[in-house]
Amino acid sequence: MELLLANHSSYPRIGDQAGQQRLRRAYAQHERGEIASQEFEKIQTSVIQEIVQEQASAGLDLVTDGQIRWYDPISHFAGRLDGVKINGLLRFFDTNFYIRQPVVIDRIAWKGPILVEEYRSAQAVSPKPVKVTLTGPYTLGRFSIIESPRYRDLPELVADYTEALMKEVEALAAAGATLIQIDEPSVLHHPGDAGLVKVALTRIGSRKGSARLLLATYFGDVAPLYEILQGFAVDALGFDFTYSRGLSDLIARLGSDKAIAFGLIDGRNTRMERTEEVLPTLRKMAAKVEGSPSYLTSSCGLEYLPRDKAYVKLKQMAAVRAAFVGRGLG
Amino acid sequence: MSRTKLKSLGIELPIFPTSTVGSFPKPDYLVEARAKLAKEKIERKELEDLERQATAFWIRTQEEIGLDVLVDGEMYRGDMVAYFSELMPGFEQSGLVRSYGNRYYHKPIIVAEVGWPGPMTVGWWRYAQGLTKRPVKGMLTGPYTVMDWSFNEHYPDRRSACLALAREIRREVEALVEAGAKIIQIDEPALSVRPEELPFAIEALHIVTDGLPAYFIIHACYGAFDTIYSQMLKLPVDNLDLAISHSTLNLMEMFRRDPFTKDLSVGVLDVHSHEVETPETVKARVEKALQLLPKESLWIDPDCGLKTRTIDEAKGKLINMLAAVRRLRAEVGAN
Repeated sequence: MELLLANHSSYPRIGDQAGQQRLRRAYAQHERGEIASQEFEKIQTSVIQEIVQEQASAGLDLVTDGQIRWYDPISHFAGRLDGVKINGLLRFFDTNFYIRQPVVIDRIAWKGPILVEEYRSAQAVSPKPVKVTLTGPYTLGRFSIIESPRYRDLPELVADYTEALMKEVEALAAAGATLIQIDEPSVLHHPGDAGLVKVALTRIGSRKGSARLLLATYFGDVAPLYEILQGFAVDALGFDFTYSRGLSDLIARLGSDKAIAFGLIDGRNTRMERTEEVLPTLRKMAAKVEGSPSYLTSSCGLEYLPRDKAYVKLKQMAAVRAAFVGRGLG
Repeated sequence: MSRTKLKSLGIELPIFPTSTVGSFPKPDYLVEARAKLAKEKIERKELEDLERQATAFWIRTQEEIGLDVLVDGEMYRGDMVAYFSELMPGFEQSGLVRSYGNRYYHKPIIVAEVGWPGPMTVGWWRYAQGLTKRPVKGMLTGPYTVMDWSFNEHYPDRRSACLALAREIRREVEALVEAGAKIIQIDEPALSVRPEELPFAIEALHIVTDGLPAYFIIHACYGAFDTIYSQMLKLPVDNLDLAISHSTLNLMEMFRRDPFTKDLSVGVLDVHSHEVETPETVKARVEKALQLLPKESLWIDPDCGLKTRTIDEAKGKLINMLAAVRRLRAEVGAN
């Protein structure tokens, strides 16, 4: 099993060092109308370039644009679809992070590519392949308020969000994206809806072309769904190990035909994992995982950490991988 | 039952006792002074004088409005967790972390064994209580919320961090009781974010409150209240303060299933809205609660701290809340 290092999704957009707060200042200036959108965009692009290089310098094989342009994981995509307006703030799972809630007022429809330009511009400045992350249709549906009488229930809403994501994934694959991650954290809180997510992923997978599709779950215990997820039409499954004490033993016992994104580095806590505590867990699972390449990553996006700690976490991932392939401990 | 406890503590309150959740908006002069201190343009002593001035303003204002149980208004606090973590040994402050939009904050990190540095809130409670004959609540943030809103690099897991904090926070509660506080509110807004952790959150609150002679209120924001309601009845406190001003939950059904056994502070003002609720709106919200619980069990307050409102909005909301309560008291012949 080949093991690649991949950033999960988000990355801290500002830091405490001189120069790392320019996006925060620009955001405020843009809101007050003191700088034009063009100038704001220039600053966003420069921050993306900086953090893409930061990830590469830590030793990652696959980087992300850090979702620097995203207000949050829900409204960025949903808010750019026809039929959706954006409402007030809502807590995102058990974090201290807040998203803006979509309100579905009419039939949901995809108007054109939302993330393709973001992908292209990040890839243009990245020395490494850029992984694209989208929040999945089920989680988008769970965070939405239905006001339109067109939708009688959640499955109908998820079906139309799926339609939009199918078109977006097709456009991303056509633009050259090689690894597309679909985040579905909500399914862990509603395991009875796994069938709904499976249908959605099958439809999205039909448009992925030659790209690999990775289904990521986090912020809950995935162990009860592990065997069901193995039957999903995706190339890889991404797991948050911080909520699942028994997950590594389960994978070591049952194995995996699919590639795994091992979220063994805690994206929610600043404590640094030691190589010697991560390595045995990784090794016992890797021996039973057929899917290749698999990925070493964090349990969730890194935006829940301060920038300096996020960077050290990435470097620690590289140290674990080095030990895994025999260039360090172990 | 809780009225008996209050009486045994020497506190007599009218029917429908009125209070607030804790924080009030800071006057402009205090906001400016805090910014100046951050830039080292004034001395801490100068800021503290203004914090006392603002506390006195709010004590006076609460008396004028007619509230029964007062708060110090938290003029000395920035954030409800940071205030404690900046004083307690064992914490460091992290670099900036985003909460939403362009808002960032320094999140505390537990880096060593946590400790109690000596009284953190007692001086402010004593000062506020010295300004009024009405009871002033002792106010502190609970161990579960301090744990949940901090990174943890020291303790092996969340439970042990929470219980260690509980042991130190109890010492603050003991100091408040020793100073004379009879009503103590523990703020636990994070309480319902991980229902599976409620058992150790309850264990922690036992550590904080067991055996201490005070009437305890716990303030918890809504969260997954429907899934944790029956467990919340096990919290070792006398009064649950819940935001039910715009609840869509079927409380009636939940209370029928598991009868409510404590006093309930009914959060009847929406602190996130600029709108000043009319006395009729407030009265209707209390009447909704009266369908569920006997009048002797109800306290009336806003659904959270009022610090994000303007001073005029906060006063306007509270004036109308008291107008509604006076009518309710008249209706039950208690005026």
